[in-house]
Amino acid sequence: MTVKHWFPLALGAVVALLIPAVTHDNYVIQLLNIAILNAIVVLGLNFATGWVGQINFGQAAFYGLGAYTTGIATKAGLPWITTPFLSVVIVMGASLVLGLPTLRLRTYYLAMTTIGFGEIVRLIIVHWEPVTGGTSGLRAIPGINVFGIGPQGQIQHYYLLIVVLGLAASIAARIRQSSLGRAMIATKDSEIAAEQSGVDTTRTKLIAFTIGAVYAGLAGCLYASSIRFISPDSFSGTQAILLMTMLIVGGMGSIPGCIIGAVGLTILPEALRFLGQWYLVLYGLGVIAVIVLAPGGLASLASRLPRWAGAR
Amino acid sequence: MGQLVVNGLALGSIYALVALGLLLIFNTVQIVNFAQGQLLMLGAFIGISGAVTHELPMALAWASTMLAMALIGIVFMVLVYFPLRGRPPFLVILTTIAMGIVLENIALIVWGPLPVSLPSPVRGPPLRFAGVVISMHQLFIFCTLAVILLLQYLMLTRTRFGILMQATAQDLHTARLVGIPVNRTIAVAFAFGAILSGIAGLLVAPIFLAEPTMGGSLGLKGFVVSVIGGFGNLPGAVIGGLFLGLIETFGARYISSNFRDAYAFIVMIAVLVAWPRGLFGEKSSEKV
Repeated sequence: MTVKHWFPLALGAVVALLIPAVTHDNYVIQLLNIAILNAIVVLGLNFATGWVGQINFGQAAFYGLGAYTTGIATKAGLPWITTPFLSVVIVMGASLVLGLPTLRLRTYYLAMTTIGFGEIVRLIIVHWEPVTGGTSGLRAIPGINVFGIGPQGQIQHYYLLIVVLGLAASIAARIRQSSLGRAMIATKDSEIAAEQSGVDTTRTKLIAFTIGAVYAGLAGCLYASSIRFISPDSFSGTQAILLMTMLIVGGMGSIPGCIIGAVGLTILPEALRFLGQWYLVLYGLGVIAVIVLAPGGLASLASRLPRWAGAR
Repeated sequence: MGQLVVNGLALGSIYALVALGLLLIFNTVQIVNFAQGQLLMLGAFIGISGAVTHELPMALAWASTMLAMALIGIVFMVLVYFPLRGRPPFLVILTTIAMGIVLENIALIVWGPLPVSLPSPVRGPPLRFAGVVISMHQLFIFCTLAVILLLQYLMLTRTRFGILMQATAQDLHTARLVGIPVNRTIAVAFAFGAILSGIAGLLVAPIFLAEPTMGGSLGLKGFVVSVIGGFGNLPGAVIGGLFLGLIETFGARYISSNFRDAYAFIVMIAVLVAWPRGLFGEKSSEKV
């Protein structure tokens, strides 16, 4: 690691740790907490989409499955410590059920089956009212509690989530450097060539998809027990598209890109609230502009900067 | 029972029309337009602006809607398809989705969020036989689908333009080398694709009300139909559409109306698991 590598990392960490010193506004901190959770989900999406090149609109549904598993389990009286495990089991089960038959499908078919999966999960949440609370959602979900110890208030949650995000990002970086990570990139570049070189592409896709789902499931678990209110809207098809655009705008395949995209696109709608309906018009055009002009997303623009500076 | 069949087929005809619009674009540039539902919504609202707001005669409102849709289709192509030519289809999916978001919100700004109704172009008492009621509008939907299907079939197989489209789809560069006006062919395909979804919008608005968010689910149904029927397969799109309309109507009646929108996806996933290229096969295959 050279200065060029660790400096932005250290800068990001310092800024992240100092934010609560600058603002005590609970609303701002809560928004940042949601941004961090979204960043974890987008890091998960990056495995299948950014590295293996498989389109996936089911990520919001996995996020929701984790959140609802946690909400329902803790409200039923189970201790909090069981919920991450429960969420992971449910989400892994669902990702295998969806992934096994569908991951060999081509782009459009895969896009459609994942959209369909998300829609089915949403309809179940909306209509299974006695358990899920229907469209009004679940309120007063018990908070994080590990044998009597748990974060209190938004700021403590913020630090906890920052630590989890750091872990999630470093695990993703380790996986990228492993043989599994190289198999993912090979599958993306050319499935036929990867198969020829002995990569089991179906297995690679399924593993990437499942790891991504587990990221989303755990983020959902933390969402339910730190925001303490969940409703179907937070995990709808619109949210799935939003997660995908966070990945694209931030930069597919780039870990800092995922975080920048997720945090940026979570905060932006709040900052641009005065635009009203026009925000979504500009948002759509902005996404098209990024895809056309900067296919590597904002992360690729950042990596071009030193080169420009060096050329002068 | 007979009534459910008629209602299901009418709904299915509209799904089939959405799928036929998708098919025109897919057959020329091998791209699936995920904003087709939003184009349909625009068609419905432009029709309402003409027939209700400006009180134009129905035929004129329809004609002006189709003209407007052709222009919108070409603008759509310039913004969403041209800059991404030759890039992975995955990115084009995302630009079309983003364009769908843009169109939906422009419609919200222009026409507001409240549902509006459009009168049917045909009037008259409904037909009745054997206890089944067929409204004039349903009859009109069936006739429109039949006429469009026939025209599209003739256009794709019997006209010069159909051949140009096939050549463009098979190999864009070679088509250009042998002197085919590739860009013009693609522009016409997008214009026709948009017109077809506009017609679907004009047909839907008298049954369900028109609202800016109506496009999302209707567009998705169009893809489900294309998937069931096989992308780019003309008879497949029609049979798939009618089939889906029946499934939804009967599912809503006999299983649960809450999960009405889920049946389409369940059927689609089941079809894909069994036949990964759709029931009737796909027209083209992946190039290495």
